[in-house]
Amino acid sequence: MIHELSDWYPFRIFVSSANFAFRALFSWLRPEMWVTQLLALPLFQMAFFVYLARFVQPGGTSIAFVAVGNAMQVSAFASIFAICNLTSEEKWQGTLIPLISTPANRFPLFLGRSVYQIFNGMATIAVGFVYAKYVFGVDFSRADFLALALVILITSLTMTGFGLMLGSLGLFLRTAMIIANIFLFLGLLICGVNFPVSTLPTWVQPVSYAIPMTYGTTAARAAVQGANVVQLAPTLLGEIATGAGSIVAGYLLFIGFEALARRRGTLEEF
Amino acid sequence: MLNFFADPQWIIPNIIAPFIFTAVALMFYGNVSNSLALYAVIGGGMMGMWGSTLYGAGFALSSDRWNGTLEYVLGTPSRLIWIVAGRSFSAAVLGLVNALAILLIVVLGFGANLGIVNPLAFLLALVLTLVSLSALGVLLCSSFLLTRSAQVMTNGLEMPLYVASGSMFPIALLPFWSQGFSFILGPTWGIDAMRYAAYASYTGMAFGYWADILVLILSTLAYLAVGFWLFIVVERRVRRDATLVEI
Repeated sequence: MIHELSDWYPFRIFVSSANFAFRALFSWLRPEMWVTQLLALPLFQMAFFVYLARFVQPGGTSIAFVAVGNAMQVSAFASIFAICNLTSEEKWQGTLIPLISTPANRFPLFLGRSVYQIFNGMATIAVGFVYAKYVFGVDFSRADFLALALVILITSLTMTGFGLMLGSLGLFLRTAMIIANIFLFLGLLICGVNFPVSTLPTWVQPVSYAIPMTYGTTAARAAVQGANVVQLAPTLLGEIATGAGSIVAGYLLFIGFEALARRRGTLEEF
Repeated sequence: MLNFFADPQWIIPNIIAPFIFTAVALMFYGNVSNSLALYAVIGGGMMGMWGSTLYGAGFALSSDRWNGTLEYVLGTPSRLIWIVAGRSFSAAVLGLVNALAILLIVVLGFGANLGIVNPLAFLLALVLTLVSLSALGVLLCSSFLLTRSAQVMTNGLEMPLYVASGSMFPIALLPFWSQGFSFILGPTWGIDAMRYAAYASYTGMAFGYWADILVLILSTLAYLAVGFWLFIVVERRVRRDATLVEI
């Protein structure tokens, strides 16, 4: 079975692409720099919003809400920012044309490129939860850790799918950096990270529920308060559905934008 | 500045974080009162200036490296530090766009009536904060010369200053051990001075407007002095080791 899998062409593309992405990352970024980033980003993002909440609502109960929401959302640096820039990075390095000219299926190719960022996103959220408990004093005494681990896994996977969808724009645009930056932080405003989605204007709420992170933050808060996997199932299914939808839409957009960029000769434009 | 006008879309990554952070603050404030709205505009303006300066400084030489123009920049008779200082200052000015955007939102969207008690004192504090942030950008840029990871450092240094300078909340809320770091940052004093000038009964860090201005100027001079010294040392080193254009 293993032998058959390793012979399966899309799987070989996936493994090879993941291997390349991992080696490329650490030839560009020193491991100690990666660790610093992993430890610093969640701390400062969480600190900013927790202290802001403390200033606005002293003694309020929103500290745990804000800390847990930001611990989840900080993974967007990996799942949105890094993934969305995949195509642009290939452009800047001059490797997009050789890559696109291969007959390799685009789905395992770019899924392989993003695999490392799924683990990176999960590690970032885990660090965020450590800060939530030990720095910002969130009560985890009733938490269901199995459910929380599942929420972290599903959120990283689905948000990576969402990031891939946004990244497909990078094939056609001069850079996906602008989109990456917008969506990196937009979640803070519309995904129930700092305040409930219900407080947003009605017309914004459907947009919120089209992003997997909205379900992820809701499920994480429930898991911290003791909800088990069965109780979280409806929320997690919603998250999986939006993530799967993003992946399908992303793949179709990718194919479409690739054809458009080939026709207009903009593949190398940056 | 010309570089920016050649491709103005790059203002978005520079100010998107401060803009959204300020928007979240406005949502936290709920029914935005005039005093809180002013707090958001001042804080948002400072964050925008810092976000833009940081990217300006981070990419001041990295973009030249990538575009293959760094050797030509170095070939001119101008000192590298003045080139970087100019880029850093123009980036800080562009960051004020964030304050303008927030100002429009709170005035048009929330109907807030912003009144600054002492506009001249406010303007002085704003300009000095702008210069202080530019000086900080120059200081950081010298260390960015040594590394290929300037972009990563740029991303990582944005939020620490938002937190440590008390851009959106008083630094008294921060843990006591971290407040020393806040005090060595010029922008901490700059934003406090702006609030003194904006509010009639602001007590802030309790040192008063002119004390804030004095510390702001002294810290800016210190950044410039250290920045100049570092630039001379680093520039000599990267020329000697032939690592300046290493990407």
